[in-house]
Amino acid sequence: MSGKVKIMERKGKDLYERLYLVEIVKGMAVTFGHFISNFLDNSKLYVRHYPEQKPEITSRWRGRHRLTTHEDGSVKCVACFMCQTNCPAKCIMIEAGERVDGRTEKMPVRFDIDLLECIYCGYCVEACPMEAIRMDTGIFAVTGSDRQSFVMKLDALLATPGAFSEEEYKKGGA
Amino acid sequence: MAEKVKLFVNGQEVEVEAGKNLIDAFGAIGIEIPHLCYHPALGADGNCRMCLVGIEDGRPPFVPACKTKVAEGMKVQLDTEKIMKIQRDIMELELINHPIDCPICDQAGECKLQDFYMGYDGKPSRMTVKQVLKAKKVEFGCGVVHDQERCVLCARCVRFTRLITKTGELGIVNRTDNARVNIFPGRPLNNRYALNVVDLCPVGAMTSRDFRFKQRAWFLAKSPSICQGCSKGCNIFIDHNREKYKDEVIYRYRPRLNDKVNGYFMCDEGRMTYKLENDDRLTTAQVNGREAGLSVAVEAVRRAISEAKKTVVLVSPNASLEQMFAIQQFAASINASLSGYSDGYIKAEDGDDFLIQDDKSANRAAFTLLNIDDSKVGFDAALNDADLLISFQNDLGRSLAEDQLASILAKVKLITISNALTSCATKAAVAVPAASYSEDSGSLINCDGRLQRYEIALVKNQPLKSLIEVTNLIGGEIANNQEARAGLQAAVAVLKDIDLEQIPAEGIALTESEVAHVAA
Amino acid sequence: MSQLDILLLVLRVAFGAFVPLCFIAVLVWMERRGAAFFQDRSGPNRAGIFGFRAAGLVQNLADAVKLITKEDIIPDHVRHKFYFVLAPVIVFSVAIVSFAAIPFADALIINGKTYLMQTIPTDLGILWFLALAGFAVYGIILAGWSSHNKYGVLGGLRAAAQVISYEIPMALAIISALVVYGTVNLTEIAQFQGQLLFGFIPMWGVVLQPLGAIIFIVAAFAEANRTPFDLAEGESELVAGFHVEYSAMKFGMFFMGEYVAMFTSSAIIVTLYFGGYQIPWFSTETLVDNARVFTVLLMLLIPAFAWVFALWMAKNNKSHYDRPDDPRVREAQIYTKLLWCAVAALEIVLFIYLITVSGGVADRILVALLQIVTFLVKTTLMCFVYVWVRWTLPRFRYDQLQKLGWQTLLPLSLLNIFVTSAIVVALS
Repeated sequence: MSGKVKIMERKGKDLYERLYLVEIVKGMAVTFGHFISNFLDNSKLYVRHYPEQKPEITSRWRGRHRLTTHEDGSVKCVACFMCQTNCPAKCIMIEAGERVDGRTEKMPVRFDIDLLECIYCGYCVEACPMEAIRMDTGIFAVTGSDRQSFVMKLDALLATPGAFSEEEYKKGGA
Repeated sequence: MAEKVKLFVNGQEVEVEAGKNLIDAFGAIGIEIPHLCYHPALGADGNCRMCLVGIEDGRPPFVPACKTKVAEGMKVQLDTEKIMKIQRDIMELELINHPIDCPICDQAGECKLQDFYMGYDGKPSRMTVKQVLKAKKVEFGCGVVHDQERCVLCARCVRFTRLITKTGELGIVNRTDNARVNIFPGRPLNNRYALNVVDLCPVGAMTSRDFRFKQRAWFLAKSPSICQGCSKGCNIFIDHNREKYKDEVIYRYRPRLNDKVNGYFMCDEGRMTYKLENDDRLTTAQVNGREAGLSVAVEAVRRAISEAKKTVVLVSPNASLEQMFAIQQFAASINASLSGYSDGYIKAEDGDDFLIQDDKSANRAAFTLLNIDDSKVGFDAALNDADLLISFQNDLGRSLAEDQLASILAKVKLITISNALTSCATKAAVAVPAASYSEDSGSLINCDGRLQRYEIALVKNQPLKSLIEVTNLIGGEIANNQEARAGLQAAVAVLKDIDLEQIPAEGIALTESEVAHVAA
Repeated sequence: MSQLDILLLVLRVAFGAFVPLCFIAVLVWMERRGAAFFQDRSGPNRAGIFGFRAAGLVQNLADAVKLITKEDIIPDHVRHKFYFVLAPVIVFSVAIVSFAAIPFADALIINGKTYLMQTIPTDLGILWFLALAGFAVYGIILAGWSSHNKYGVLGGLRAAAQVISYEIPMALAIISALVVYGTVNLTEIAQFQGQLLFGFIPMWGVVLQPLGAIIFIVAAFAEANRTPFDLAEGESELVAGFHVEYSAMKFGMFFMGEYVAMFTSSAIIVTLYFGGYQIPWFSTETLVDNARVFTVLLMLLIPAFAWVFALWMAKNNKSHYDRPDDPRVREAQIYTKLLWCAVAALEIVLFIYLITVSGGVADRILVALLQIVTFLVKTTLMCFVYVWVRWTLPRFRYDQLQKLGWQTLLPLSLLNIFVTSAIVVALS
C-alpha cells in the first residue's frame, strides 16, 4: 500500500453496537435534548432574523456587480472584453464604441450582465485590467418580477455605489 | 520540389529549402525566429534586430536572420544566453515608450509584441522616466487609423507604400524617441491597397477604421475563402463570429497567402465586400412583393415555368462552376434559352496591373468553358418572344438602366433566385432566397484561368438553401456539388483530367492542363 | 335505525374522515417546526394572517394555497395519463380508509345498545389495516412506472421491494400479538389492554410483547416510507424518487398521503401496543363509575395546564431582536386571552354537566370523549416519535435495509411467535 492510503478502523463490531437499538436511543436522546431546550426557550436558536436583521457583508463578499467610474464620473471600463472572454457562464455582453468623454479611446456602448446566468465566480473582477468591474456592492439578494429585469444594463451598473471604502476593499484582498 | 540544403540549428541537423533566408527557411519547418520588420513580400530591412542569430563560421558574432541566406553545413545558434538576452533587450527597448494599451487595442490577440513578450521577454518594466507621448488615433486616410505610440518603427508600412503600391505616402520622421511614422502634410494615404498596412503592421499601430472596436481578435473564427469582388479571385480569410443570441456576422476579410494569385495582399474594395454578405440579404421568399414560405415560392416558380411559352434563364457570372452547370442543365431541361448577360459587372478602365480587375464578377471565365453566351445581342434575341425570365443571382439592375429594365419587365415575368435584396429581386414576381458564397462551396475560375475552390465558411442560424438546391427544387436534375462536378467532368473536356473534389490550396491553372489535354 | 343510530354513524364517519385530514396540517407543522428545533433552527414561523401566525400553522395554509393554485402539469412524455393521475389518489385514499377500522374510544353503550367507536364497525380489525397498508404501495409503484422516468421507476421498484420485505415481519409480529390478545378485532384488543398485569402494570401490548412491538414499529416505519427507510424517494440518488414528475396538487396528494399514512400507522401502533384509547390504570368501567370525581379533577387540571401554557407562550412568543411595540408579544397576549376564554367555557360546560346531567348516558359520553382525547394524544406522541426518528437517524443503505428486513427482523419475529406461543400455551 502506498503511503496515502489510510485504513479506517471499522466500528460497530461488538454485539452491543450491533444491536443498534441502544445506539439509536442514545442518538435520539441527544436530538431530543436539543428539541426540548429549544422548545422551552426558543431564544437559544442559532437563527438570524433575516429580513429585519441583515447579515454583515465582508468586503471580500462577491455581491452584485457594478462598474466603477473615474473621479470625474466617466466610466472606467474600456470595453476590452476581458471579462466577457473569461466569463465561464457567458453572461456578459458588451458592445464597444469610440470614446466620447475625452479619454482614450474605447468605451462600452452596451454592457449587459445577465444575472440569471451569472454564477458570481468573480472571474470578471479578476480579469479586469482597469478595476472597472467590481462585485463590492454588498447586494446579495437580487430579485425581480420578470427575466428582463435581471439583465443589468450599463446605466444600472454604473449607478450602483460600492458598499465599502477603497481601503476596506483593498484589505479584502482585491 | 525546390533544392534542399542540410544545416544545423542549435546542434541539430535539419533540412530546409535552399535559396531562402533563415527566417523563411526555418519558419517552413516550424522553427520560429522572432522578427518585427521582416516580411516576405517586403524583403529584409534589418532595422528591428529581433532576428539576430549566431553562426559559427567566423562571421561577426551575430547576424540578422532576415538578411542571411541558408547554406549547406551552416551551424546556426538560436538559443544561446547571449541571443536570448538580445531578444529580451530588444523587447525592452520596443516597450519603453509603448503605451501597453492592449485592452483598447484591436491588434491584441494577434500582436507580435504580445507574442514576443510572452515568448522571449516576460520581464517587468524597469522604466522610471516618463514615456514619450505621441499622437494617437491619427487618420491616415483610406480608413487607416494610426497610433504612433504603439508603433515599433519596423517600417513595413513605409516599405509597402514604396515597394508595392509605389505611392510612397508614408515615411518615418524625426529621430530616436521622437521617430514616428507619418504622412506628408496634406497628403494622406491614397491608394487602393492602403488597408494592407493594417495587416502588415506587426503591432496595433495601424488599425482599420471599419473594423475598429467591432470585435476582439480572439472571438473571430477564421475561415478560408475566396473574394468575389472581382475576377482576380484573391484568397481570403473570412473572419466571423456568432455573438450570444445573434446570428453569424462577418467582421472583416483578410488576404490569405496564395503566391499564384494574390500573394499576401488584397485590394480595399475587395475587403469591404464582406458587408454585402451581412446586409441587404434576401432571407425570405417573396411572391408578388409579399413574404411567403419557401415551398409556396417554389410552387409559384414551378407553376410559372410550366405555364410559360418561352423561358429565358439568366445566370450570374458570380455563380460557381457547379452552379452554372446545374443551371445550364436545368435550362436545357425546360427548353429555355440561357444567357449570361452581365455587362454591368464590368467596370471598364478600373483595373490595374496588380490585383484589381475590370471585371467585377468572380467566374466569367467559366462562361467560355461552358459555352454560355453573355452578349447583349444574344440576351436581347433570347428575350424577344419570351414571357418568363429566371435570373439566378444575376442583378440585371447593374447591367441595364431603370427604363430598359422596366420595358423588359413589362414584357416578361421575372423570377429571381438571389442572395441579396437587389433591385432586380425587389421587382421580381417571385424572389427565392439562396445562400451566398460565404455559406456555400464551389469552384471558381479567375481571370488568369486558375481554378480555385472555396468551402463553406460559416453557417447562419437559419441556413438558406444553396443555389444548386434551389435549382433542384424548382425542377433541376442536379442536387448537389458532387453531382454537378461529375456532370462537369463528363461535359467539359478541359476538366476531364482534373480531380474536381481535390483542388489544391493554390488552385490549378487550367490553361496548362488544357494544353496537356490537347497534347494527349 | 333510530335517529341516534344515524347521528352516531355520521359522527363516526366524520371523525374517521376529518381527523386524519386535520392531522395532516398538524403533522406537517410538527415535522417542520420539530425538525427546526431538533436542529437549533426556528422553522417556518413567518406566514401569518393579520399578524396571527399560530406558531407557524398558517404556513401550512399558505403551502396548501400554493399547491392548489399551481399549474397542474402532466408531462408530455407520460403515456398512461390515467394511471399517472390515479397513483396519488390511491396513495391518499388508501391511507385514509385504513384508519377506518381503528377504535378511538371504547364501545359506547347508550340505552342498552352498543356502538363500536370505529369509522367502520367491522370485526376485520387488524386484517383491514394489513390489507390496505399493502395496497398503498401500489400507488407508489404506479406513480413510478407511469412517470416514465428512470428515477421514478427506481423509486417505485425500491418501494415495492421494501414493502414486500417488511410486510412479512410486520405480519409475523402481529401474529404473536394476536396469540396474546386472542382476537383480530381492534376494539377487543384495546379492551384487553385495559386490564392490569400483576395488579399494577397496565397490560399494554408493549409490556406483553416488547420484541413484537419493536419489530412492528420498525416495519411500520418502513411501510410508511419514513426515514430511515425512505429509500423510495432518496433525494441524493433518485432526485425525488417515485414522485419526481409530479407537481402541484398531485404532488400534494402524495405529500398528504404520506402524513395520513404516518397518522394511521401511529394510530395502529398505539392501538396494538400502547393501550389504544385506554387511560392507564383507569378502565372504562372505573371511569364511568367515578365520573364526577374525574370531572372535578379535570376542572382543576385544565386551568393549571392553561396557566403553564400561557407562561410558556409569554416566554417564547416574542421577537428576539430590538423591535418597537413587539407585535409578537401582542399576538401572545391575544392568544392568552383566547386560551382563558376557552378554559372558562370548558369549566362552565363541565360545571353544568356536574349539576344537571351527570350519571347515566352523559357519563358514558364524557368518558368516550376523554378516551378520544387520550387516543389522539397518544397518537400525536407516536407521530412525534416518527418526526424525532426522522431527524435523528440517517437513511439506510439499500442493502442494509434488505438485510435488516430479511436477516434480522424475520428470524426475530419467528422466534417471537414461538416464544409467545409457548408461554401462552404454558400459562393456559
